[in-house]
Amino acid sequence: MKIFRYAIQTVFKSLWREKWINFLTILSISIGLSLLTSFIMITLNMDSVLQRWAKNFGIVVYLDEDLNKEEENALKNRFLKDTDIVEVKYISKEEALKELHKTLGANALILEGLDENPLPSSFELRLKSSLIEPGIVKNKALQIEQMPGVDEVQYGEKWLSSLYAVSKTMKVGAMMVGGAIFIAITFITYSTIKIFFYRRKDEIETLKLLGATRSFIRLPFLLEGLIIGLLGGIISSLVIFGIYSFTSIKMVEFLPSINLVMASLPFQVYLIVPFAGAVVSVIGSFIAVGKIRY
Amino acid sequence: MISFTNVSKSYEDELILKDFTFNIDKGEVAYMTGPSGAGKTTLLKLIYCAERPDRGQIVVAGWDINKLKQRTIPFLRRNVGIVFQDFRLLLNKTVFDNIALALRVHYQHPNAIREDVNAVLKEVKLSHKAKTFPQQLSGGEQQRVVIARAMVSKPTVLLADEPTGNLDVDTSQTIMNLFREINARGTTVLIATHNHDLFHGTGRRVFFLRNKNIEKEIIG
Repeated sequence: MKIFRYAIQTVFKSLWREKWINFLTILSISIGLSLLTSFIMITLNMDSVLQRWAKNFGIVVYLDEDLNKEEENALKNRFLKDTDIVEVKYISKEEALKELHKTLGANALILEGLDENPLPSSFELRLKSSLIEPGIVKNKALQIEQMPGVDEVQYGEKWLSSLYAVSKTMKVGAMMVGGAIFIAITFITYSTIKIFFYRRKDEIETLKLLGATRSFIRLPFLLEGLIIGLLGGIISSLVIFGIYSFTSIKMVEFLPSINLVMASLPFQVYLIVPFAGAVVSVIGSFIAVGKIRY
Repeated sequence: MISFTNVSKSYEDELILKDFTFNIDKGEVAYMTGPSGAGKTTLLKLIYCAERPDRGQIVVAGWDINKLKQRTIPFLRRNVGIVFQDFRLLLNKTVFDNIALALRVHYQHPNAIREDVNAVLKEVKLSHKAKTFPQQLSGGEQQRVVIARAMVSKPTVLLADEPTGNLDVDTSQTIMNLFREINARGTTVLIATHNHDLFHGTGRRVFFLRNKNIEKEIIG
């Protein structure tokens, strides 16, 4: 506690004396963190949409024409035992035809001339959501296609690849933007603390001669960095909370179904943002103060 | 208390001290004199570890300078009070705060700091100037503040580099009396000066520095 007494006094004096430069630094940090949080929010919402789409994703397994009931059941049991598959739905030839009738609606007349039902029986399989990746699904489809009694396997290969690519790009983008913003915040704090450090150079030299330890000299700068980052983070959290609440209310007014799609920002994010701001700023301050040599 | 054994020090290619050997006992007052560039300031810097010797051994208040790590230097300096010719006072801090800084680095309690600083201000007869800033003081007063700052932490060794350099005769006398008082409490004092009047008739050892070493040692 003793070590903090002088540091805290020094920090509050500096925060007041250098209020403009501190204010601008806090503002820059809060803008950076707000951008980052917004990006995370957009990514989370995109991911939520993709997850919903993925839930409806299925593999259709068309069966051979000459397959009897026993063979169909054997195949069904095989699918049910497969831990990668979470849902197995059998669609008979008749059900398939009914479904086609429904789909065609008024155009179903074209089916009138058929002598027999040309549609095969099939299974609709849903995979575990963690397995819905183009490579894994492709392998699974190939594996199923090799099974006796299976005529053909279909799934939206192109659609899945595009969906996966969008999701991956968003995640990589979020990481890159996040990294860039963290570097920017580190640099902003670094510059501010470096300025303060140079302004107090004489005092630091005197402190060294009076027997001040490295921690005694460093601590005020690190604390100042921490406070600046923390305040920047708190402002950013408040801004994001305000914008998100406002946007959600307004969007639901115009488009009620959007509420089903919009992922809410986890509450922890509002706490993590100030914490992240503080940590990154302390790192910037630590680099700015550098090695203290006597 | 201060011991140099065959110490050599050079800056870049210029040799400043060569095989320098001398010893100052505990509680002694000694003077160091010589022409500019003779190495007086370098010698003081070696004592408070602002410089390291190229060769030789230095022991100050029991600390072997050669073995000191960077992180240990502050603890040596807490035992060594330093009075600079250019004062090195912080202009944005009051006289009180300038002196208190020497105790704050020791993490002393604010009440103890207040008590010690007021006591030392009384000794240097500057109690009435506690709340003023260095620029509002005369040269002599500033030097007394520096001495107060150096003595407030009760160091075992006090170093003074040209302590009366810019002061008139009367003020110089006041400063020298302060050093005598500090020494009377058992502090070892080493003064580097050009001014021969400071050591004449003191009966103390005086080291004359010339040609990178001690040319002669006399009793002042």
